[in-house]
Amino acid sequence: MKELLTPKKLIVRIALALTVLVVVMFVCSLIGTESVSLKAVFSGAGIQTRANPDYEIFVQFRLPRIILACLVGAALACSGVVFQALLRNPLADPYILGISSGAGLGAIIAVICGLDWVLWGRSPIAVFAFAGALGTVWLVWFIGRLTGKFHVTGLLLAGVVVNAFFSAVIMFLTSIAKSQQVYSTIFWLMGNMAEEDFLVLWIGAGCVVGGIIALFYISPQLNALSFGEADARSMGVNIAGTQIIAFAIAAAITAIAVSLSGLIGFVGLIVPHAARLVFGPDHRQLLPLSGIFGAIFLVVADTLARVIIAPAQLPVGVVTAIVGGPFFLALLVKYSRKVSWLK
Amino acid sequence: MNAIIKVGNLSFGYTRQDTILKDISFDVNQGRFLAIAGPNGAGKTTLLNLLCGLLRPKAGSIRIDGVPVQSYSVKKLAQKVAVVRQEFVPIFDFTVAEMVSMARTPYLGTFGFESNTDKQIVNEALEATDTAQFALRALGSLSGGERQRVFIARALAANSPILLLDEPTSFLDLKHQVGIYDLLKTAQLNKGKTIVAVTHDINLAAQYCDEILLLGANGNYHIGETKDVLSPEQIERVFGVRTFVGRLGQEKFFIPLGKFAKDSRQIASKPHNIQQE
Repeated sequence: MKELLTPKKLIVRIALALTVLVVVMFVCSLIGTESVSLKAVFSGAGIQTRANPDYEIFVQFRLPRIILACLVGAALACSGVVFQALLRNPLADPYILGISSGAGLGAIIAVICGLDWVLWGRSPIAVFAFAGALGTVWLVWFIGRLTGKFHVTGLLLAGVVVNAFFSAVIMFLTSIAKSQQVYSTIFWLMGNMAEEDFLVLWIGAGCVVGGIIALFYISPQLNALSFGEADARSMGVNIAGTQIIAFAIAAAITAIAVSLSGLIGFVGLIVPHAARLVFGPDHRQLLPLSGIFGAIFLVVADTLARVIIAPAQLPVGVVTAIVGGPFFLALLVKYSRKVSWLK
Repeated sequence: MNAIIKVGNLSFGYTRQDTILKDISFDVNQGRFLAIAGPNGAGKTTLLNLLCGLLRPKAGSIRIDGVPVQSYSVKKLAQKVAVVRQEFVPIFDFTVAEMVSMARTPYLGTFGFESNTDKQIVNEALEATDTAQFALRALGSLSGGERQRVFIARALAANSPILLLDEPTSFLDLKHQVGIYDLLKTAQLNKGKTIVAVTHDINLAAQYCDEILLLGANGNYHIGETKDVLSPEQIERVFGVRTFVGRLGQEKFFIPLGKFAKDSRQIASKPHNIQQE
């Protein structure tokens, strides 16, 4: 039966998408305020006495930042796919269950307390944002469960209310904080890519890739869950187990992304939709491809953020929204005739 | 004969105080077609949800193949019982082929892909329900009758011995109602499926089902061979409606009589033999 996804078809598509990703990473790493010569980069680190600036820029600045963009893009896109499936809501994104406000609250508390230490190369802002994000998702999940065992609407409403409440707390804290503190928090919240050291990147990459592989493993269950809990159960899906695993992994990789780069909007909403419009809703394919497209999208967006007003830089969240919006609308118009829920 | 579904002294209520089903016992033998009928709110869908393990009984037991429903793992139970719920359109645009193949979820290997056997079973289910022509279309683009056939195809693709259906023909026109029941009867006769269908249509039940369970709103119930259970008295007791009963050869049929029906008291009294014109 050729209509169904086969492992071969999937592997070919993933390989093609990965090739595009590598090419995009490569091209983007050469673009920037300082032009980098490919030949010089490959000539190596240079001898002690005569440093090779091209190599330095490439390895110290461009490469880590591009790897970071890949990581964050993949994490946000995959977690968007999972939240849309679990909440059965096309408007869901990685931040819908309070991760954004929780991270923001954590960040502003760290700033106001004037904490100044470093944990695994992370600033207190990042650490507090990570904890705030996970804590809030747990809180929303807990409140959601009080409304009924698998009550998706209850969970969504809990997310919206907790988001609104924490946003109010954030506004309160910003209004009593000193302006310098406020500026650094707001700048952080806008979503920024910075040059990270490789240790942080590898740990982050390990967690995100591991999480995506684990999510791929439960993707047939996610397919069944998009028909609702009762239906999925009659297809042999362990609802509670699948929901908890999927929520936990999606929340964790989102929290990692947020602690690495702040709040970057739009990636987790539009990349899953774009991938679904083109390749269909089968999660076995949607998850890996969304991850790769999320990475490509954020690498390109971050490169634009670096060069549009060079030598200054834009927050990448601004670029994702400005580039992503029209791109998504174009896809929507092109494919909407094929998709029934848009009618 | 061997009872594949055994319900013993089953009671259920959604809260601690209320009881919607009270002390119900019945068996369904392998390969039989049972209809569950009764007024709204009598607990027909609740009973179906208990049979498929979605709800837990307050008291009593339900055994499938001799094993209590609650002792099955979700996966093992899905291999025994397939369910067709009242239809709805899913949020994402899965194609018909993708959707029907999801019935194979409990059989998938480590990497979550369908084997050739799975694909063959899916193909057979699509053929049996005449939905192979829509295989590549999105579920949302089909008409109600076509969609219901796809849901039945999915239930058939589960290859389970038992099929539970919740009002499979509501919202369908006459042709599609008969088409769906023809399909179910074929599955019963050719594949030996045991079928339990909740229905409001006692005429379809009389025509297709071997047995019927009439659930009354007051907790009374009556189960037996369809031809024995369905009588004007019984229907009036359970539904509170008088019916005209006609007989056409072997088939009995029922016409409910409202208070505006002319001479309703006379015509409702005895079964009439209707001559075919």
